[in-house]
Amino acid sequence: MSAVAPPTAAQPVRRRSPVDRLLHHNETGLIGLIVLVTVIAEAAVPAFRASGNDTQILDNAALVMIVAVGEALVITARQIDLSVGAILGLNAYLVGSAVGHIGFAGPLVGTVMALALGALLGLGNGILIERVKMPAIIATLATLSIYGGLQVVVTHGSQLYSSQLPGWLGNILSTSWLGLSPLVWAAIVVVVIVALVARYTPWGRDIYAIGSNPEAAAYLGLRAGRRTYQAFAACGALAGLAGMLYAGQYGNVDATAGANFELTAIAAAVIGGVSLFGGSGSPLGAALGALLLTEIENILAVLKISIFAQQTLQGAAIVIAVAAYSLLSRRLNRPVRRSLRVEAGQSRPPDQLAAEGPAGTSTLARSEPVSDSVSEQLPDRVTRKEPSA
Amino acid sequence: MSRLRSLGRWETGLLVMIAIVVVVGQAISPDLLSTYNLQTIAINNTVLACLALGVAPVIIAADIDISIASSLALCGVFMAKLWGGGMNIWLAALCAIGLGGVLGLINGVFVVLLDLPSLAVTLGTMGAYTGVAFLILKGAAIVDFPNGLLNLGSGLIPGTQIEISSVVVLGLLVGLTFLVHASPYGRSLFAVGANRQAALFSGIAVIRTRMIAFVIAGVFAALAAIFYLGNYDSVQANIASDQLLPAITAVILGGVSAYGGTGTIPGVVLAVILLSLLESALGLAGVSGQAQTIAVGVLLIIAIGAGAVIQALPGMRRATRRVPDSETGELGVGH
Repeated sequence: MSAVAPPTAAQPVRRRSPVDRLLHHNETGLIGLIVLVTVIAEAAVPAFRASGNDTQILDNAALVMIVAVGEALVITARQIDLSVGAILGLNAYLVGSAVGHIGFAGPLVGTVMALALGALLGLGNGILIERVKMPAIIATLATLSIYGGLQVVVTHGSQLYSSQLPGWLGNILSTSWLGLSPLVWAAIVVVVIVALVARYTPWGRDIYAIGSNPEAAAYLGLRAGRRTYQAFAACGALAGLAGMLYAGQYGNVDATAGANFELTAIAAAVIGGVSLFGGSGSPLGAALGALLLTEIENILAVLKISIFAQQTLQGAAIVIAVAAYSLLSRRLNRPVRRSLRVEAGQSRPPDQLAAEGPAGTSTLARSEPVSDSVSEQLPDRVTRKEPSA
Repeated sequence: MSRLRSLGRWETGLLVMIAIVVVVGQAISPDLLSTYNLQTIAINNTVLACLALGVAPVIIAADIDISIASSLALCGVFMAKLWGGGMNIWLAALCAIGLGGVLGLINGVFVVLLDLPSLAVTLGTMGAYTGVAFLILKGAAIVDFPNGLLNLGSGLIPGTQIEISSVVVLGLLVGLTFLVHASPYGRSLFAVGANRQAALFSGIAVIRTRMIAFVIAGVFAALAAIFYLGNYDSVQANIASDQLLPAITAVILGGVSAYGGTGTIPGVVLAVILLSLLESALGLAGVSGQAQTIAVGVLLIIAIGAGAVIQALPGMRRATRRVPDSETGELGVGH
């Protein structure tokens, strides 16, 4: 899948049949897994077949998908954003109230407002990371506190109800087009756009390059700082959009809206094969991960398994997914790695050696670390670049 | 050497900030430094202190553990269940500490032995541990623990105004400080955190060092659970989930680098003191509980931002440049 842009140029061309190539895509496996789970559930769980359950799964997955593809961009650039839940909640209240008050605000105005406010908050993260030079995990931990606190301040103990929303937003679940609600269509549009941008535009390739090897990307002249800003702005904008839709979907927004949503989004991305070490995975995978996560949640719910057991199984699913991707990638990349090691001897930061990304991901070599160790023995930590995990 | 000096500065900075909070807070409300208020602050932050102390070694080793609050909940539930089944409360506490170690070990096995990203693994175990705690209690709560435990949680040493829990936490602080700053294990911890590969090639048992760090985090989460039960006299499956972010905030604010390899245990405790005094001062000034999180977030940014500024000062520049230069040579590009 996401072959890393710059270093692959020097790679020997390895001929693979189309079938072989397809099998090396995470997404193929995910779709297969989703189909398999669906077939088994259809056969074994009568309540799963209930009419309306399939649309409910899609409705529930929509918001997670939108936030997860944004998170996937940031994680691919070897960063992380813990503030998306707070951005979502803040947007749900602010944009929801705004479109409710402004009579003429249609879907377009609302969407632009949500994207802009979200991008602004995401830019705040970018500034802390690029200007103040904070590690992403700390910077977004801080903004999670700040944006979450702002949410408490602006809601001021009050709630936003669906009656206060304009019709186009309040009825986002009750209308449908070609059998799907506008909410699901919004998610599909977002996923398609982000997936195409990440896969086929120079901007998207830059993100992969910066995430898989920041130093090499810098030597190639890629503007890592600017891309970081943009990735966080995009992630914030998508969380903002999800926030407005959240107001429409749940029709009840208070100070706790969106709490812990960042963990769900990260879980979806991880299950979808986005490596927390950066440089591999895809937004499409993250969206499929969100769908799979939601589907499993739904099956457990219709089976009347307690919500607490669901939490346990979800946690276990995350660990299993990470372990499986790690194993797969080691197996699939072995021949590539070996050939590259001989030819290029490309170096990577030590943590990459410790854990490689998911299947079919980084085609960079895991070089023998001997040469690195001597030069990196200096204890000064400040300039080390490592994944924020 | 410059590293030592800047670390000294970090703790000095924390002390200065504590002094500012005390002076300003005292000016706003003279109740801040009253004996009663100080005791309340101390009792209410033993849990935070335990969690922060426990996760500090993990972060120094350049990993992260976000399952600590869930481990706390599961250990607390386990201990309460054992006690409810007729076991002596202190024996139950000992079993809880054992369970904490096991939970940490589980994290360690996945992260270290299977080479998985610690954030993802502990995100998973966070859900799993809380879920198991819920399954054991089924949404109920256990209350009314024996007096001995309550005394540990919120009692005073007879004849003094000093909390028993504060003294125990002080003991834990001294022990952990010794382990991290004055033992062979501590040396390997910093070496592993600073450069895992270099540590490996220097013959340091990287796997064991990282595993032990996770076990320490689990054990301290169990200790936090014991204090939690003693202080609040009640346990539910979702207790202390709001303590995770403050604990990690305290560690980072205490001067531990999020990239691992630097930081001190006393610094972490100073950060806990700073955060709890700030919380109390804001509360006395009439700022609502959740809105206080803004102040914590801003404080974190100021602290890390100030650290970055200090690093960028001319005297520091030479030291920080060296590493990229050597990396440049390594990659064979430029220069």
